[in-house]
Amino acid sequence: MRLKTCLAVLALTVGLASSPVAAQERPSSLGLGIFTFTSGPAAAYGMPGKNAADLIIDDINAKGGIGGVPVTPIYVDEAQGAQGVIAEYRRLAGDAKNQIMVAALSSANCLALAPLAEQLQVPTVGWNCDTHQLLIDGKSKYMFRPNGNTIPEFIAYAIYLLDRKPDIKTVAIIDPDYAFGHDAANIFTAALKAMKPDIQIVAELFPKLGSPNFQTEISRLTAARPDVVFSNLWGADLENFVRQASPRGLFTSSQVILALGETVLQRVPLPEGVIVGVLGDGWWMSPDAKANSETVKFVQTYKARFGEYPVFPSIKMANALIYVKAAYKTAMQKNGGKWPTRDELAEAMKGSTVATLTGTTQTRADNDGLVDQIVGVTVKSPDQVFPVIGDMVRYKGDSLMPQTGQDPIAWISTLKPEFVKTLPKPGSYK
Amino acid sequence: MSNTVIPLLLDSLASAALIFFAAVGLTLVFSVLRVLNVAHGSLYSIGAYVAASIGLFIASRQLSPYLSFAALLCSAVFVAALFGPLIERTLIRWTYGKSEAVQILITFGLFLILEDLQRMIFGVQSLYEDAPVRLLGTSQIGGVVYLNYQLLLIGLAVIVVIGLRMLVRHTRLGRLITAVVADREMAQSIGIDTNRIFILAFSLGVFLAALGGALAMPTSGVAPGLGADTMVLAFAVAAIGGLGQIEGAAVASLIVGLARVLAIYYVPSLDAVAPYAAMLIVLLIRPYGLFGSVSARKI
Repeated sequence: MRLKTCLAVLALTVGLASSPVAAQERPSSLGLGIFTFTSGPAAAYGMPGKNAADLIIDDINAKGGIGGVPVTPIYVDEAQGAQGVIAEYRRLAGDAKNQIMVAALSSANCLALAPLAEQLQVPTVGWNCDTHQLLIDGKSKYMFRPNGNTIPEFIAYAIYLLDRKPDIKTVAIIDPDYAFGHDAANIFTAALKAMKPDIQIVAELFPKLGSPNFQTEISRLTAARPDVVFSNLWGADLENFVRQASPRGLFTSSQVILALGETVLQRVPLPEGVIVGVLGDGWWMSPDAKANSETVKFVQTYKARFGEYPVFPSIKMANALIYVKAAYKTAMQKNGGKWPTRDELAEAMKGSTVATLTGTTQTRADNDGLVDQIVGVTVKSPDQVFPVIGDMVRYKGDSLMPQTGQDPIAWISTLKPEFVKTLPKPGSYK
Repeated sequence: MSNTVIPLLLDSLASAALIFFAAVGLTLVFSVLRVLNVAHGSLYSIGAYVAASIGLFIASRQLSPYLSFAALLCSAVFVAALFGPLIERTLIRWTYGKSEAVQILITFGLFLILEDLQRMIFGVQSLYEDAPVRLLGTSQIGGVVYLNYQLLLIGLAVIVVIGLRMLVRHTRLGRLITAVVADREMAQSIGIDTNRIFILAFSLGVFLAALGGALAMPTSGVAPGLGADTMVLAFAVAAIGGLGQIEGAAVASLIVGLARVLAIYYVPSLDAVAPYAAMLIVLLIRPYGLFGSVSARKI
């Protein structure tokens, strides 16, 4: 009996010593759950993200991995819907080798996964979680968003528009019918009306995400004859919209703003003069990008491997992974070089400032990232067969963000017309 | 208000034309075979994929872009010739006389298989080939620029309605179909080859589905999931018009097209539900659809 008891205690001790919970030995590989769209209409936006992840991870592993541990990505296709995405998150989080999740692309999935990250205590880097609602309560411990959010992104378009076309009177909106689309409409409208109160919104259309046909919406927009058409359609929706709207004269009858227009520059023939941006600073031809040798190398490698230049989803994903790598470095510096736990990684991300491929991301107390905003217009380029972004401006990230804890929409309503004058002008970013 | 009347009417007709092409094949198959084919949407999207693939091939070989028009028709013929007899003989024939629940389950299984087959053959990215749209140019009507291709689709939809009516009423095949629809057993007893009629009718239904997908492709491309979205709308149209009623499908398409366009113009938040709200209203007043009835079986 005593022998049996001793053997049982010995077995228990060995088991505890080898369990991942107790030990901080380096694992054989570091699993990263990476959530993006790899099928369906949204793959037009999601695959550039995956491509960038492949490149960055290959580069990390070629240099010996993170802390000597090779990185193994596990891709989750968001096209399976929120329920499937949640199930996959739970499954991946259950394996302690998967320390960090990089999720997600769709705002709807981000909002679904955020409470799960807190519940399961898994550091989650929202590589494309733009919706300002994600971290609005300021209480997140495990959800981080280094790439900025919809507040500065869409205020930037309003400011650029008013600088370029101060006399506009009427605006129409066509955005996808879910959180990202409605948020963008609310923010853009609120910012415009705060800075130019006589603006009139003459049409607001919210076609279903994934709609292939926008002919009726285009008729409605052209019949309304707005001075400006604003849209944050993306992926195949945006491609379809541009292809369908272009021959019907929408781009000549109105000033069109395509908030995610940079993603289709290489795919559809956008005319000159369309206001586009990169929802952040991820433009591979920006002066800062061109001056960074790592970025230049990334762009060249991306083009050689995938046959096209990286679009801003690629840059966002690359910057998110650089952010993850920086978190490991910081965590291991703090704990004396040991393999960090999930909690130590989350702690390392808090308040961090990380140099990215295209600038800097600074994490605030509410885990939201401060990222500069680049906006410009499409112009012909002698060096490329597709239009590029010209007449650019780069707004500082903190100049377009409310203070931590402040209601974003309420803050926007306090903006005055004079606010536009305090910011850099179109064409100033060279 | 006045400057939106003409665009509203034209958009309704253009929308109705696309919806009609999506639904008429489903209605035809039900009228003859009494089978509700859930895989109808997949056949629609396969038509779109084949048309896009042929169009992209034509473009890559720098052949005459006018061949893309022929590609649209040939895609539908190819899909019908390949899938029509194959599916009818191997699967659909086992559902004749069975309950609607069994028919729906079997054709739903077929739908899932065809959806996966599309992903395997055509991949998961969107395909787009708009040569027919570019070639036909645009026209300004009522202050709004329209694609001439949209106007062409309206004309084609009218031709298909008239063509099907003439087929049924003025051809030998049509009279045979009418006989089989009226009384299958009696038709068999007087020597009509009902198996051949079923194959032809089902293949015609597949042709119409594939043609619908091929004709829609130049304006909106094709992506995974197109079949499922189309199926839901086709069912709504078939229910409004009355299952098995070709003219009913045409009128129902007009109603659904108008409902959706009115929503987009005046109440955009109801855009997605407008077709189904129209369906509910019609079915509450006429449970068998506008042209349907309990006992009459007429096509």
